[in-house]
This record gives sequence, structure tokens and C-alpha cells, in this order.
Amino acid sequence: MVTTSSLVSPSTAEHTAMGVVLDLIEGIGRVPTGGTVTVGFGHAHRVAALDLVEAWCAATGNEIAVAAQLTVTVRHGRAPDPLAQLDPAQRPGARVWVYTNFDCNLACDYCCVRSSPKAARRAIGADRLQQIASEAADADVSELILTGGEPFLLNDLDDLVNSCTDRLPTTLLTNGMLFRGTRLERLRRMDRSRLTLQVSVDSATPAIHDSHRGTGSWAKAVNGIRIAHEEGFRVKVAATLPADQMHELDPFHVFLDTLAISREDQVIRALAHRGVSDSGIELTVNSLIPEVTITADGVYWHPVAADHDDQFVTRDIFPLADAIAEITRRFVAHRRAADSAAEWFPCA
Amino acid sequence: MTTPLVIGSVAYSPNVIPIWEGLRDYFAETTTPIDFVLFSNYGRQVDALISGTLDLAWNTNLAWVRTVAQTDDACRALASRDTDLNFKTVFVARTGSGFTSLQSLQGRRLVLGSRDSAQAAILPVHFLREAGLSEGDIRITRIDSDVGKHGDTGRSELDALRAVLDDRADAAAIGINTWNAIGRGELLPGAFESFWTSPEYSHCTFTAMPSLAIERADPWVANLLAMDWKNPQHRPIMEMEGLQAWVPPRLEGYASLVAAVSEQRIAPRW
Repeated sequence: MVTTSSLVSPSTAEHTAMGVVLDLIEGIGRVPTGGTVTVGFGHAHRVAALDLVEAWCAATGNEIAVAAQLTVTVRHGRAPDPLAQLDPAQRPGARVWVYTNFDCNLACDYCCVRSSPKAARRAIGADRLQQIASEAADADVSELILTGGEPFLLNDLDDLVNSCTDRLPTTLLTNGMLFRGTRLERLRRMDRSRLTLQVSVDSATPAIHDSHRGTGSWAKAVNGIRIAHEEGFRVKVAATLPADQMHELDPFHVFLDTLAISREDQVIRALAHRGVSDSGIELTVNSLIPEVTITADGVYWHPVAADHDDQFVTRDIFPLADAIAEITRRFVAHRRAADSAAEWFPCA
Repeated sequence: MTTPLVIGSVAYSPNVIPIWEGLRDYFAETTTPIDFVLFSNYGRQVDALISGTLDLAWNTNLAWVRTVAQTDDACRALASRDTDLNFKTVFVARTGSGFTSLQSLQGRRLVLGSRDSAQAAILPVHFLREAGLSEGDIRITRIDSDVGKHGDTGRSELDALRAVLDDRADAAAIGINTWNAIGRGELLPGAFESFWTSPEYSHCTFTAMPSLAIERADPWVANLLAMDWKNPQHRPIMEMEGLQAWVPPRLEGYASLVAAVSEQRIAPRW
């Protein structure tokens, strides 16, 4: 038997839901824009009250921050769009990184993905790379960046690169040490008008570079830059510098000037505490603006952690647009959570 | 360096601070810089304006009318929000209550907001009188939730709506801004409906004493009116303050409140 006291007429349910909105209006008026107010559902039916709160938010320019079981938290005004705060070039999916392989002819002591001659290849493969390039072009990606490992260890690298440059401007990261014989022939078959080579050089003189990357590697890399230039390629140089070597920057830039590397193509990146590096800056999904990164194992948040589970996003590379959307969604959620944390702990 | 104009405002909400800091930043880039002083109630603000502590006061319609009365018409209204020129009072009831006019309130329970709220208390009584009803014809309940702020917080109007939902009253008189805030009856058609809407009247206005020279006031007003809703730096301030454009005041829109204050013998320093 149902007792009358357990029955709530539709009319009463509507009225109690409206009571929640009245509480919200009053609470919102007491917090500054960007602040939040939490109200309880009381005797209102949760679903009906949430529907009404949602409609009220849409009509008044506020937004639900958290819909809990017994309460709803509403933000006064709308939180700033984290994507709108980014430079368009930083938008997730503006560029897509692809690890072509993980094996390498070097075993750098700071490699963020633990590449070495002993590392398993884990190649992305021609078919997948072609599909990535195709879907990236359709997803408004403006550039593909191929990295490893050392891509020039792959016997089909020319085909791989050309499948990318056929669709989008592409940058190929390399240590620049393998431009000879058949590998030089592969380089010559790449599209100079659409491909930029990015060679890793860490210092103006051999000592520091070789201490991380192996004896003789500096001279070969510098020679590789000369070869690439002779072959008509645009060359960028990327240096990985620990904090205590940042004072070396000025002479380093001067050195790169002598190699005819334009200043805009001289990239300095901080050492990350990732992979086999035992020092460097800590990079987490909360502190990193994502750069969509694809490996044979799936999609990662950022190339600096493409061998780390904490930045693994999804095993599903395709549809690529979905993977980009998922990273974008997570980025927005992280930023909003960080903003909320800042609101919660203003004095701590 | 130009001496800033000192403007008074009542702190009816925490947003008042970012609004006025935003306005101060805006005017710092003009020929008429400002500073502001916040008050806890309009009575105190009008006192400060008349005593010369302030150059300008951001007044409600009641504060304007009281300033006019206390200065023998010598004060000047300089500018208002676009939304201040067509303010209204709305009488609302639970959907299906059967009210069709103010006369149909006879013998019923009407809840009013704070006694110093023009839109939710003073003018509703005036409109009832114009409709031939006296306070004795209706069972009136007053909810004085935010006295001193002239209804700016909206709290007493929300309390009045709660009283209707809780069946402690049959109808409520609220400002059009509160009616809009709850969705004008469209958000939840089964909850509230309006059955009478007042003629338009004027609400807030910047008030100056005659001691503020025209040479100082006019350029300031010109700079205020130059704020642009489409300018992304101006817009957040304008959104928070509830306007899309600053406009010259509409003085004839205060006539109904002047009459109401006189009829109801409203205390001069509210």
C-alpha cells in the first residue's frame, strides 16, 4: 500500500525544484564572478531539480560545476575557456607527433623514451602512418612531426616521410649521424619543399654533447647538418640542456649562426626527468600543454612521455579526430580542476 | 595629474569590487580618472554625497529621490544603465491561481520585499493605490531581508517567491530583473505566472551635487557613455553591472516613485 505521505504531486515537485533555483539565485548573488555556490536539493527530486538548474544556467550565463547526489555546485558566470587562452599553435591537435620507431643507434643518457640500440623497434608502420597523415589533414592538423628512436634506421623511411609530406608539412627529428650510403639516398628522395629536418645538437663544442650522446657524435651531427643543407633541406637544431648549462646559451646560438641555422630554427628545450634521465624538470599531464603523440602502442599526451603509462591516453589511434578530441577534453578538465584548486586554496 | 572623481557605491554583492576596480582601470586611461568608496547602505551614501565627501553617487531610484528631496532639487542625474530606463514591477503568483488584475488581489495574501525596495515594496503599494486598493483590502506581508540596500541584493524578492511556493502567500511583487532571473515563468511554466506588470519607471542613476563643476562632470559622462559592449575589455564590467550601454538618465521615469514616497511618507534617510 502506498501512503499519501510518500506521494509528491508533479506540481509540488516543480515547486521544490524551483526552490532550488531560488536558493541558487540568492547564493550566486553573494559570490563574485568565477566563484561557485553549492545548494542542496532538499526535498526536490534530483533529476527534476538538475534539469531546471541546467535550464536556468543556460538562460542566465552560469554553469554547473559539479552535480553531486545531494547538491549541485554552480559557477557564477562561465569559467574561461582554457582553449581560448592558448596560442592557436598550442591547441591540442595543431600538430601531431608520431614515433616512427623506438630503436636508436645512440643511447643518450637523458633519452625520455629509453631509446637505444637494444630498444625494441615498435615501428608505427607504413599503413598506419599513411592513415594518420590522411586523417590528420582532415582534422585540421597543420603539421606532422616524426621522431624516434632514430628514424633513419628504418629501411622504408623515404616512403614513410613522403606519405606524410604528401598530406602535410612535416618535420623529421634525427641525430643527423646516418646521412651516407643508402640512407643518404633515402634522404635525397624526400620532398625538400615540405620537409624540415631537426637535428639534435646539445652544445657548441663536442664535450657536453658527447658526454650525453657518445664520443664522436657531435662531429657527426654537425657534419649531418652540413650534408642536409647541401642537399637543400631546411634544418632546425634542437638542444636539450640541463638547468646548469643554460649559461652556455649565448655561445651556442653564435655557433649555430655559423652553421647557417636561422634563429627561429634554434630550439632549446629543458631536460625532462623522464625515461633514462635521472634529473630534469618534472612534467605531468597537469603541467604540460598536450601535444598529441602517436606510437605503435597508442596515443600519448606528449612526446616527452611517449613511453610512460601516466601519459597514455588511448590504445585507439583511429579515428584520429576522436583521439584529438579526447586529449582536448582532458586538457580542459585538467585546467578547470586546476583553476578550482586555486579557488579552494587561496591562502595555503 | 588630474584629481580623481570620488564615486560612492553600495556594496550589495561581492561583485561590486571587481566592477568598480574595472571602472577605475577604465577611467585611468581617460582624462577623467576616478576612485571609489563603498558603503553598506544608501542612507549613508547619500549623507556622504550631500556632505561633500563624494563627487558622485551611484544611486538607486529611491536614493535619487531622497537626494532630490534633501537638496531641494539641486542635485543632478548624470547617467544610467540602459536597463534602468525601463524597469518594471511584476506581480506573480503560482500558475493557475486565477489572478487576472491587481483588483483580484482583494482579500488575498500579497507578499512584498524589503520596505526600502522601490520595485518590491514602495511602488507596488503605489500601483495598488492607483488601482483603487488600500493596504487594508489586501493581507500584506513584508519581508525585510535586505533593508538598507534598496532591494539591490534581490534577496527579499526571492524570499517573497519562496513564501508563495510555500503557500505562505498567494502572490508576490518583484522587480523585472528578478522575474527575468527566474526565467519569466518560461523556465518552469508550472511554478509561477505573472498577472500584472507595471508601467516602466527609472531605476539607478549617477547623482552629482551642484558643487561638481560641469567642466568636470561632462567629460566624465562622455567617457562613461563611450564604454562599448563590443569591446572585450569593457564587456565583463558591463555584464557584471547588468547593462549593455550607459545612457543619459530619464528623469520623468522617477515621477511614480516621487509620488509613492510622498503618499507613503517614506522616511527621508532610507
